Amino acid sequence: MSFSPYTQNGGTILAIAGKDFCVVAGDTRQSEGFSIQSRYETKVWRLNEKATIAANGFAADCKQLVKRVKWRLETYKHAHNREMPLKSIARMVQTMLYGKRFFPFYSYVIIGGIDDDGTGAVYGFDPVGSYERETCRAAGAAQSLLQPFLDNQIYFRNQQPADPTNPPIPGTLPLDNVLAIVTDSFTGATERHIEVGDALEMYVVTNSNCDLGALQQITQSATKTDLEQVAREEAEFNGPKSCKTFKLLRQLKKD
Amino acid sequence: MCFLTRSEYDRGVSTFSPEGRLYQVEYAIEAIKLGSTAVGVATPHGVVLGVEKRSQSPLLLSTSIEKILTIDSHIGCAMSGLTADARTMVDHARVVGQNHRFSYDEPLLVESCSQSVCDLALRFGEGVDEQDDDEQMMSRPFGVSLLLAGIDERGPQLYHTDPSGTFMRYDAKAIGSGSEAAQSELLDKYHKNLSLEDAQVLVLGVLKQVMEERLDEHNVQLAQVTQEESFRILPINQLQNAISRLPNQQPTQEPQQ
Amino acid sequence: MNMSNNFTSWGRPFTDAKMDMYGGDVTQRYQLGAQQMTVPDDKFSEGVQKTQQPIVTGTSVIGLKFKDGIMLAADNLASYGSLARFKDIQRLYGVGSNTIIGAAGDMSDFQHVQHQLDTLITDEYCHDDGHSLGPAQIYEYMSTLMYHRRSQLNPLWNAFVVGGVDPKSGESTLAYVDLLGTTYSAPTIGTGYASMIAIPLLRRLVEDRQEPLNKEDALDIIKTCMKVLFYRDARSLNKFQVATITKEGSEISQSMSVDTEWGFAEGIRGYGGQTQ
Repeated sequence: MSFSPYTQNGGTILAIAGKDFCVVAGDTRQSEGFSIQSRYETKVWRLNEKATIAANGFAADCKQLVKRVKWRLETYKHAHNREMPLKSIARMVQTMLYGKRFFPFYSYVIIGGIDDDGTGAVYGFDPVGSYERETCRAAGAAQSLLQPFLDNQIYFRNQQPADPTNPPIPGTLPLDNVLAIVTDSFTGATERHIEVGDALEMYVVTNSNCDLGALQQITQSATKTDLEQVAREEAEFNGPKSCKTFKLLRQLKKD
Repeated sequence: MCFLTRSEYDRGVSTFSPEGRLYQVEYAIEAIKLGSTAVGVATPHGVVLGVEKRSQSPLLLSTSIEKILTIDSHIGCAMSGLTADARTMVDHARVVGQNHRFSYDEPLLVESCSQSVCDLALRFGEGVDEQDDDEQMMSRPFGVSLLLAGIDERGPQLYHTDPSGTFMRYDAKAIGSGSEAAQSELLDKYHKNLSLEDAQVLVLGVLKQVMEERLDEHNVQLAQVTQEESFRILPINQLQNAISRLPNQQPTQEPQQ
Repeated sequence: MNMSNNFTSWGRPFTDAKMDMYGGDVTQRYQLGAQQMTVPDDKFSEGVQKTQQPIVTGTSVIGLKFKDGIMLAADNLASYGSLARFKDIQRLYGVGSNTIIGAAGDMSDFQHVQHQLDTLITDEYCHDDGHSLGPAQIYEYMSTLMYHRRSQLNPLWNAFVVGGVDPKSGESTLAYVDLLGTTYSAPTIGTGYASMIAIPLLRRLVEDRQEPLNKEDALDIIKTCMKVLFYRDARSLNKFQVATITKEGSEISQSMSVDTEWGFAEGIRGYGGQTQ
């Protein structure tokens, strides 16, 4: 019997890119085996104005990875007098993950945000750093439940287009539509997977052109939803043209 | 001049004199003034670099004199002083540039490139215990000055670095033996809205003024960095073309048989 | 990963159980920890051992958040396997004046952590700069320490519950860190057996409660949980201490016990052990 340095802490994360926004979401349950350790441990972190990261798998590794990423972003800022662009964060995370190839971070990572030309972007990773840019990605305990659903709803797989001459293009769904899909994904995963539940955190990274109507509607109508603009001061400091990130908190079933 | 009285404090490379001067660094800066002239001019469209290739002997192949080097696809530099030292710096800058592309999937910023070259330039002196040092320290400062020309998201930029590890951004700058005359010529002729072609002519004109030999396509070299074509050293025909645009320039003559 | 403890592997063939979502064997594919497993030998390497199992152990620690702060409890037993070896050890330990930690697992590793924390607090005190380490700082330090040791494959074989109240902000901390460096915070926490036996009680009595929980009621809840743990956990003792941390400060109580009722045990039949 030898010491195993890993465990799995359940939970699921998900990100979907739109034309001028990106939604990065994760449930807040942390578990080990059949025990729920906490009903509110975050798996999604805002990195800067344009980037949000979600990490899932072995919670201790995930937290350590995100801590290191934040440190690297800070040193980059001092060295180059600017925020690290999204694609550079993605490449950096690859080198950090692969750097521990022979004692890996047991972390499934998704980065979502706004790329250099202002469009929503999602980067999905495996634990040793293989990565690609995608329109959407699910990872974690309920990946096998969510990814097929997203393939159908976001990539329009196995759907007959209403107008075959003008098929829908992935990555162009409006924000209200995407938020609905994210919410449904997690309520569905909560029903079918015991490691998913408690609460859902959705980070909405928007560029300056994004229509925020969907977010305003949610704050007015839904009862059990909190809307919070992350780092409001920073967004206002950078003027109206800058990207804003919003955080939506929605309760999930706790059983 | 007080050269003779300096003897106490110009031995150690990292010993300050009571007046607060590092003589070896100052001497290194002096060394650059012995080098051949190099000129850089920044325009809104790109940066032009020009160097004089002084030929010590008619038997020397001028094509083997390299005073402009590529650092990355979007950054290059011209040098004056101990050109062998420049190779160490350029090698370092090239590695930093490639590492940055590998780690961040983006080209290195021109300013960051200048910074990293200057970080290297400061790694001289005597350690407390040489064996304890992780990296080998250099025994003396570099005897070379660089004009770094590059382009990035912040536009075309020209930087000057010297042996003290200082780097500064310029619109136009000359280094080397003819730098004083060249600098005043640049001050006179430079304006913010030069076209790239005018900048080529300006650089050549300044070089022509300070050169002893008659300027031709063999004893000067031009390079430029633009958004469209990145950094490139001008091939001989384009150099000839630029020279022919110099005012009162006789067309270069074929060597007489 | 110890897959036999992982429910996702139950009822599946052995090879299947080790498959991850892509159908690969994760432990094989990433050679988890392979490099650390083969540490270069020196002349003393045979004499060097890393902790591979706990020896003298403490059982559960429980903790809850109440209106004015945090309450923790742990019994006074240190077991040597199934032997109740030491019946008067303290598993609650004050760190600075606003934090108390409770330790489960290996008691010698716990003592090592106590020394580390003492050094930390002493160093901070010697700075004499008006700063002191609050519960959040101590928790961060312990998390870093535990994760660091697990990453060297030389873990401190413990699960800790950290409780405290920041004297300035009044913010209370109740958090957990274990030998893997796993961390979380929650309104109620229990380690080991308590995570199975006490947590359901604590969640009902603390988290589902409508009105604010005062100190007296909190103590009642703690006693209830310690009683049930004593009933069900064979490595426990009906002699325990309770720590209370509020904005005003922290205290660890004298050892106490609860009244128990074993009469019902007489009638239990059918779990083996009886001759008839």
